[in-house]
Amino acid sequence: MRYVMVGGSASAISAVEAIRSIDKDSSIDLFSDEATPLFSRVLLPYYIAEELSKPLLSFRSADFFEQNRVTPHLGVKVRSILANSKTIQTEDGKSYPYDKLLLATGGNPIIPPIRGIELQGIFPLKTMADAEKIYHFKAKRAVVIGAGSVGVESSISLKRRGMEVTLLEQLGQVLPTVFDEEAASVVQKRIEELGITTILGEKALQFEGNGQVKKVITESRVIECDMVIIAVGIRPAIELAQEAGIEIGSTGGIKVNPEMMTSIADIYASGDVAETYDITRDSPWVNAIWPCAVEQGRIAGLNMAGKRVLYEGSFRRNSIGNFIGIPAISMGLIRAETCSTCEGGEAFQEIKKRTKETYKKLILKNGRLVGVILVGPTQKAGLYQILLKKKMVVTDYIPLLMSHRLNFMDLLPLIRRYADRFTKTEYKEIMDTGL
Amino acid sequence: MVDKNKCTGCHQCELWCGTEIASVSKELYQAIHETPQPVPRVFVEGKNFALQCRHCEEAPCLEACPNGTMRRDPETGLVYVYEPTCIACWMCVMACPFGIITPSSTLKVAIKCDRCRNMGYPICAEVCPTQAIRLEERKDYRTKAF
Repeated sequence: MRYVMVGGSASAISAVEAIRSIDKDSSIDLFSDEATPLFSRVLLPYYIAEELSKPLLSFRSADFFEQNRVTPHLGVKVRSILANSKTIQTEDGKSYPYDKLLLATGGNPIIPPIRGIELQGIFPLKTMADAEKIYHFKAKRAVVIGAGSVGVESSISLKRRGMEVTLLEQLGQVLPTVFDEEAASVVQKRIEELGITTILGEKALQFEGNGQVKKVITESRVIECDMVIIAVGIRPAIELAQEAGIEIGSTGGIKVNPEMMTSIADIYASGDVAETYDITRDSPWVNAIWPCAVEQGRIAGLNMAGKRVLYEGSFRRNSIGNFIGIPAISMGLIRAETCSTCEGGEAFQEIKKRTKETYKKLILKNGRLVGVILVGPTQKAGLYQILLKKKMVVTDYIPLLMSHRLNFMDLLPLIRRYADRFTKTEYKEIMDTGL
Repeated sequence: MVDKNKCTGCHQCELWCGTEIASVSKELYQAIHETPQPVPRVFVEGKNFALQCRHCEEAPCLEACPNGTMRRDPETGLVYVYEPTCIACWMCVMACPFGIITPSSTLKVAIKCDRCRNMGYPICAEVCPTQAIRLEERKDYRTKAF
């Protein structure tokens, strides 16, 4: 068996580990267009902030490829997939045959067509090379466009490097895909306390400068700067798949079945590029987050190695860690009323509790937990995750779920009702509590 | 292994874990005055059940950790936090189905039970007065319905 992986980040590495848990001998070739292997993409803002040095960005040890007998092809771009002859061609003109192929190509940062976008000093933050450029670029004032996770974390990292930072977001709140207005306002307050200027509801219309960017122009103001970070989102990197005739889903990712196989046999896809069934939305979605990339990579790898395992589905999960400075966790849907991709006629319910320091919101759909936002105490967040993942109807447990006394043992009777939804291994863990 | 019928909910395990494992002074009287406050890794939950990390075979915390800070000891299979690299992102906290990982914002590390991997025998089992907490090899529960 010859395995070929396109991509070298979380999902591909997880797939390699899954394959090696079954198949110790077959060859694995891994192609990545990035020269630096095994670094954790989500930690790049920590690198820019000088909080982590380069070696500490790695999520696997340096001898990972050796240990797992993987032939890495780093800095090598795959040009095309020839599905009929089961080979891939790289940009340096070589071809490599495969028996099982994984596309874990991730996403490309969206570069909006704003006038002046080609000026120097305007960067996306996606690759190690991007991070290096930003790190070494000499600037005093920076504008970050887009207040998603990458935008917010980039702002903080530049602030820590002593820059004057403006965060510009065209929607009316920060972290619009993570929090509702109420939770976002808490996070925004914190960002502003750190000394970052946030401007909401305004769009960048033009960049100006003589060679290097010096001004960002919006509808109502001119912001002077020496550097701009573009963080308006990522799009699945589907070019290779599209060209090979692989089916693309309605939300723009590569369509996969529960075995993580694409529309072409023996070609699999996982991670930020894959469109999977979203448990909380009940519809296909691209959940471009680290834990999904790892679990999908594992499922893809196991199936590639011949063990049939089905993916339960993905759902959004975000944690605002210590980097921003307030513990906040959000998963699934954000609000009931704007769930545009959900079918009509569903009974949605929101339950909220707000104190001065904390905020908690549950979103229920026909009694089923489909969304949770926690600001403040987050230790028990994992318990909500299991309820969400296993599609449990929680209506008679709401007082406990809203209480600060929530704990696993009190929730166990509910979990027991859904025992049949757990896999053998998961189920064993619960049984191993001695019950 | 924790025996629900033997656990009286006396919280001895929490107290000892908090003093012996978590505190700096290792003396109860001083430990309670320490800042940051020592965090026990075991929780007496519900009416009476001492819950600590299950060291899951398919551990969601390991999958969620973005930089390999959550590790599994290849020899013992125990899952532990390699504190020097923890960046306090709380992805593991979000993933733990038992809710036993404590996000310590003062220490900036995720705190969880490592079943006293450097001490030979877990302190919670050692001090449990009714021996509700015992260290045993896993039996096969797999087929029994719960």
